[in-house]
Amino acid sequence: MSVPADVSLQAVQAELPLLLAYADSAGLAVDVTTLAEDNLRFFIRFQNANHEPFYVEFDCREYPLHPPTVEFVNENRSERGLKQLYPQGFHGTPCICMRYNRKAYSERGGPHADWRLLDWRLPTGNGIAIDGLPLMVSDLDSKIRDSSGRMS
Amino acid sequence: MNTNQQEKSDKNSEHSDKDKTVRLRIQTPRGLWSMDEPKDAQKRPRYPISTKVERVIEDARSVFKFVEQDSKYTLLRGNEKLEPQRTLASYKVEDGTLLVLSVQGGNA
Repeated sequence: MSVPADVSLQAVQAELPLLLAYADSAGLAVDVTTLAEDNLRFFIRFQNANHEPFYVEFDCREYPLHPPTVEFVNENRSERGLKQLYPQGFHGTPCICMRYNRKAYSERGGPHADWRLLDWRLPTGNGIAIDGLPLMVSDLDSKIRDSSGRMS
Repeated sequence: MNTNQQEKSDKNSEHSDKDKTVRLRIQTPRGLWSMDEPKDAQKRPRYPISTKVERVIEDARSVFKFVEQDSKYTLLRGNEKLEPQRTLASYKVEDGTLLVLSVQGGNA
């Protein structure tokens, strides 16, 4: 089953006002300038405890049936998924090992064969159920703020 | 002003500072909590400045139904993390200040 791109775009756009309000309040820079039906991606710049910037891509194809693929990229987005692009404290795959990240599922090479994509809104571990983009942003921001340095 | 008047004035000043309240705006991943948002909120973010940060976190959680105890909830002012046991006064939080409730989920 696939989700038409226009449906995914509408779903993302519906969550953008809250996401942007949260990000703005938290000092995060969001770039949605290239978000479109044929490019369902947006980017956010976070900062760790040492004010070092980290850049994350949200690839929202198949959203909201499936979670986005959430990946660390470099500033000009020419590299992605490398350990040096990750903050310390994340899964060494490397991967943002949360149900809200499609990359964490084994079908995408991630460590979790025990998770079903359709259950992506369930809690990871004992934490809160992260069921939308603003909560994903808050979770990531909190973890990156708590970290210092890079994975490698 | 004689000495007695000065002492009385100082005491009044302390008293008024202690009772001073601030109205906050708290942005959460589920919406803004303010004096008029959300419309159906059971409480509003108006606090004596002697209030501890942890109380504000508890209230913001209850308004937006962040019920999970195992998640990590932090109040931020810009890049500054506010310690739960400290008071709003200790951070010199002013009327109208925008704070952020940061919510961290679990780990796999």
